[in-house]
Amino acid sequence: MASLGNVPQNEKAKSFDIVETYHRLLNEDPDLTMPVAAIEALIELLVQSRAVTVYETLDLVKTQSDYLKSRIPNSISLSAGTDLFQRYMISSLKPSSTGNFETVRQHLLSNGRLFVSRAKAGRERIAAYGRHFVRDGSVVLTHGGSRVVGALLGKAAEASKSGGNVRFQVIYVMNDARSSESKAVVSALRSKGVPVATISEGAVGYAMGKVNLVIVGAEGVVENGGIISRLGTYQIALLAKAAGKPFYVAAESHKFVRLYPLGQYDLGIDQEVIEFKTDEEENLSPEEKKFTEQTPEIEEKKGYFDTEIALPKPNTAVDAVDFTPPALVSALITESGVLTPSAVSEELISVVRATGFLKLFVLLS
Amino acid sequence: MPSSDSPTAEPSPAEAPAQGKGNAAKQPKGKEAAAPAEGSKLSGAELKKQAKAEKAARRAQALLEKGASAPAAAPTPGQQPKVDGQKGPKGQRQHQRGSSTSVEVKNLPVRGAQKTVPVPVAVEPKKEDKTVEFFRHLYKTRTTSIAGASKDVHPAVLALGLQMSNYTICGSCARLVATLQAFKRVIESYTTPPQNSLSRHLTSHVLSPQIEYLSSCRPLSISMGNAIRWLKLEVSKVDVSVPDAEAKKGLCDAIDVFIRERVTFADQVIARSAADKIKDGDVIMTYAKSSIVQRALVKAHEEGKKFRVIIVDSRPLHEGKHLAAALVRIGMDVKYCLINGLSHNIQDVTKVLLGAHAMMSNGRLFSRIGTALVAMEANEADKPVIVLCETIKFTERVALDSIVHNEIAPADELVIPGGPLEQWGDIKKLQLCNPMYDVTPADYIQMIITESGNVPPTSVPVLHRLGNESQG
Repeated sequence: MASLGNVPQNEKAKSFDIVETYHRLLNEDPDLTMPVAAIEALIELLVQSRAVTVYETLDLVKTQSDYLKSRIPNSISLSAGTDLFQRYMISSLKPSSTGNFETVRQHLLSNGRLFVSRAKAGRERIAAYGRHFVRDGSVVLTHGGSRVVGALLGKAAEASKSGGNVRFQVIYVMNDARSSESKAVVSALRSKGVPVATISEGAVGYAMGKVNLVIVGAEGVVENGGIISRLGTYQIALLAKAAGKPFYVAAESHKFVRLYPLGQYDLGIDQEVIEFKTDEEENLSPEEKKFTEQTPEIEEKKGYFDTEIALPKPNTAVDAVDFTPPALVSALITESGVLTPSAVSEELISVVRATGFLKLFVLLS
Repeated sequence: MPSSDSPTAEPSPAEAPAQGKGNAAKQPKGKEAAAPAEGSKLSGAELKKQAKAEKAARRAQALLEKGASAPAAAPTPGQQPKVDGQKGPKGQRQHQRGSSTSVEVKNLPVRGAQKTVPVPVAVEPKKEDKTVEFFRHLYKTRTTSIAGASKDVHPAVLALGLQMSNYTICGSCARLVATLQAFKRVIESYTTPPQNSLSRHLTSHVLSPQIEYLSSCRPLSISMGNAIRWLKLEVSKVDVSVPDAEAKKGLCDAIDVFIRERVTFADQVIARSAADKIKDGDVIMTYAKSSIVQRALVKAHEEGKKFRVIIVDSRPLHEGKHLAAALVRIGMDVKYCLINGLSHNIQDVTKVLLGAHAMMSNGRLFSRIGTALVAMEANEADKPVIVLCETIKFTERVALDSIVHNEIAPADELVIPGGPLEQWGDIKKLQLCNPMYDVTPADYIQMIITESGNVPPTSVPVLHRLGNESQG
């Protein structure tokens, strides 16, 4: 609790901005994932809070989590972290243990920190599990800037350097909108002696014949074992399935999120990926513009793009995500082992049951 | 029914010389009213009787083959020679059967006055077997009257059995709740005999006859089986030293809590999460009628969501009509079509909501016949299929096809009055099959909404296990 003393007390507690904290944490540590940053932000919130009862604390964390979620365009990955933290709090803040609230709070804070450090260490364990999937002579296709995948491939490369005989090649799918990130990943791999080929997103189908396995990261793993990930993952998964190549997902288990999308447009977030435009639109007078906006859409589809939370700005194509259904995922490599997609739901059910979250939810609702 | 039954039964004594021993066993089968008299006493006795009947039928058939070999050899095709080969009263009897069928057909839409499927080997030994070979193990006679029911059966259960057999109480959950309520009455009126303890006496001597009687009226649903297993466990847990009144009160309270937790409250939670899944602009397709789907749709409508509903229905039950009527009454936008319009209507749909009779451990859905077709079509058109199901309907059994476990409804329900099939019983080599349920593969199901959350079909065994753990 060293940091507790460093934080200026009381006055600042009111002006504590969780969104700002969240962004600051993400910027400070490039290795930090969104759910972990959210949990760290919530811990800082607890440090600064002056709540003196359990329910006050729960309420504070809940309102702040919702606020944070509403302020971030793509809140899926983030909500995995906040949900996990809230569940954890509910389980450790049992009314029976509230003899001394201050000790409970300290316990919570220290355990929260422990959780963060464990979450970071999880990546190493995933890399240790995952590197066995990369065999000698195999060609791995990947895309995006996932840190877990980077660690995994790095570990596999190290194994070959330190006397092992694993030689593999990587085909990296470049993303034009995020070329700096793509280049960083590619150069990191090349510096480790891994031959990397870069292809455009249009060449995935062409390259699939040469590929032995696909490994991607994920922003969130949903209840049915599907994943939510950078736009373009879904099409790679589809192509891999069509070509009969295994499609692995490397993700920490804190990315498991209680969300059950039925399809691409059921993610509960607003994405401006598909926008219909014509050339003349800019030259239109205001009345004409109004008219074109009134053009009836297909009635049934309208609801897909509505969302309950008013978001500051919808996701543009650059940081948009898509949903890969579980049928396309061969296995998920997590720090607690390699899971089939159907095991995710089992894991989530047991976590929820274990913490009694469901009972609480049932009582509240 | 008795009016049409009595003449049917009359000729049977006349056959006696021809059939010999078989007749005695056969008679109750032909005479519907008499069937329960023996049927509901004991399952052992029933089984014995059935075996006897079958044996008799086989013997009769052998006799017929021997005796009628000459007329059968006469090469007149069709059924005429068969009737000729039979004795006078037999032919007359057949004719009467036909007429009784047509009487029954008039009552079809209610399904109420349905007759038990006669075990044709026994009833018409000289005619061809009208049961379908694959489903033969599923044909069962149903008790449709209280005459001769065991004296142990409680009046409340007697009434319930009849309501079930004529479909007044239909639907897995309705039957479950009604059964538990009736059992509550049974427990209330129970007194432990001296030298006995409640936990040992109640299940075997009081509950068992009730359960047997109910299952003779209509096969128990999976959810009823689960609930009865739970109740037996509860009874066995009653402490011997607890006084009778207290133990009975405890059991009744436990039943109330069970109904509240596993059905009433579960339904609310499911309806709410299903309504959450319905968005403005959706087009929801559903098949036949499920009370829980209806609740979800009504809830979404009450929340002010703008969506359309397409109800797919099929013969012979036309349960969807009731759903359509109920939804139209509250002002919803409903389209009703029969299953032959499915592939056309599926194009507009955004989600498919289905009810369940049971969820199997391999993730397959056991539901009203036709459901699998809807799910398959929806899957083909890439529309999400969502099943609404309470965890009480989960079972550890697996189903690979719709043949091993099923319920066969009377085939006469399929016959349209005045249609070409009206005399189907007389048409040679024609069999009608009317199973009640089918099995939908897990691949076609995207999501199951239960009171413990939304799960993929692969998680059915997990939830089932956890549900039983918390129970036990």
